[in-house]
Amino acid sequence: MTHFAMVIDLNTCVGCNACMAACAMENQSPVWDARKWRTYVHDKEIGLGSDVNRRFFPRLCNHCDNPPCMTVCPTGATQKKANGIVFVDQDLCMGCRACAMACPYHARVAITHADIREGREFYGSDYHRTSASMDKCSFCDHRVEEGRKPACVETCVGSARMFGDLDDPNDPVAQIVASGAARPLMPHIGTRPNVYYIDDIKWRG
Amino acid sequence: MEVNMTYATQDIWTWWIAIYLYFGGLGAATLAVTFLTDMYLKPHRHLVIWGAGAGVVLLALGSMMLFGHLLDKPAVLAVLNPLILFRKPDAWIAWGTQFIIWMMVWGVLYALPYVRETEFPRKVPLIKGLIDRPFVVTIAKLVQRFHRTVGWLAVINGVGVAVYTGLLLQSFPAVALWHNPAVPLLFTVSAFSTAMAFLLLLMYTLINDQADEHIRVLYERIDLVLIAGELVLLFSLYQYLKNGSESAVRSLQLLWNDYGWVIGFIGFGLIVPFLLELKGVTRGWSTRVPILTASVLVLGGGYLLRHYFMYAGVYAYPW
Ligand code: SF4
Ligand code: SF4
Repeated sequence: MTHFAMVIDLNTCVGCNACMAACAMENQSPVWDARKWRTYVHDKEIGLGSDVNRRFFPRLCNHCDNPPCMTVCPTGATQKKANGIVFVDQDLCMGCRACAMACPYHARVAITHADIREGREFYGSDYHRTSASMDKCSFCDHRVEEGRKPACVETCVGSARMFGDLDDPNDPVAQIVASGAARPLMPHIGTRPNVYYIDDIKWRG
Repeated sequence: MEVNMTYATQDIWTWWIAIYLYFGGLGAATLAVTFLTDMYLKPHRHLVIWGAGAGVVLLALGSMMLFGHLLDKPAVLAVLNPLILFRKPDAWIAWGTQFIIWMMVWGVLYALPYVRETEFPRKVPLIKGLIDRPFVVTIAKLVQRFHRTVGWLAVINGVGVAVYTGLLLQSFPAVALWHNPAVPLLFTVSAFSTAMAFLLLLMYTLINDQADEHIRVLYERIDLVLIAGELVLLFSLYQYLKNGSESAVRSLQLLWNDYGWVIGFIGFGLIVPFLLELKGVTRGWSTRVPILTASVLVLGGGYLLRHYFMYAGVYAYPW
């Protein structure tokens, strides 16, 4: 069985936002609204006085194994594939936004009719979206099915994003996760996330 | 992992969901209480018509709030289909929508024989033409025969709606204020308390009949117990939030530092009506004004509870 996961190394993310741009173009995100990108790199200053560092923190859907967004979804639009990828069927989604309320990782964005109109102009005849719905990262499942990596992973200049199969013991991602060097966000909520982060703080200073 | 956290409230479900939850709870509980009164205490045509009417009108208005905010409205058809419960039995909105629909259906059916006996609907052209149709007369006869079965089907769905309003919020695990077992209880108790207030308001004004005094007294007593229960639930919620996670503590700070919550909801929405009704139950009032005042305050408090709940839910983001 395949169990896709991502590891993000906060030590090597330089905050270039190339992943955001690659994702937006690959998935035709509403780039005109900064709140509606599927992945986002937070830029924060941490520390005191002269001992201040910038931290870049990429976030995206965690493709949880116990996804509350899927539980609350009344239409069945939010589904999980056998390979672990959580996706939204845009034709089934009625846009109640319960999934956005349920997601602890701020991973859901609303695509409105106005966004679709704008999208048709911005992306032209290639624009694939037909109905308004909630949207989120899909781990680029259309690429993954072809054996390619998600767009954000492929474009990452610092190799901060790694993508792999947790069920393959030879996969570097599985090995990093098994080593305990990378940890998921807020596992106590019970979501069983599949995006893991390698901490940067302890290597600083 | 050592991280800086960001704490944020949401602007996804705001006042309009508070109205949806409020009208849902109030309408459903009103319907359930009036039908139970009619079945077990005293057959009461006016009360049933008001109960069914409030149930249908308030639930329709509340549902419009949610429907109006959907991104893709035609897709709602999937949730209106009862088979959705087999496909998504874990989603409370699916249950809530079905409870609302069936509460309305059984509610209207239960009230139908009474509506046919009432003068006013016959003055409304559309209803007048409908209620004398042979198939409607047959349905009304059937309902009379299976009076209690139809009544209980409406009541069960009504209680389902009231409980659902709390379960919906409870299903969002990231927010400590919502994701705890006190919430469905609090919302259910509040729904029935506001329903009692609404009915007392009615029974002291529009359907004021001396022969109903025992019903009014019972409603006052029940409301008193419900408000007391609500205060206990709030106290335990306070204790839970006080020593809870950071999300809980921040919600507590948002709520208990806000005059609208402390004075508006807890003070005027619960404690003042509790004292007014306590005196009414123990020593009685010489006028109906204090109970009317208490009812209006309880109704206002019911909305404030849901309004503040929506705005005070705090998410803790690890970035
Ligand atoms: S991160 Fe949020 S949107 Fe993604 S699967 Fe988990 S709960 Fe759902
Ligand atoms: S917005 Fe769409 S995907 Fe999200 S819960 Fe509602 S129907 Fe499901």
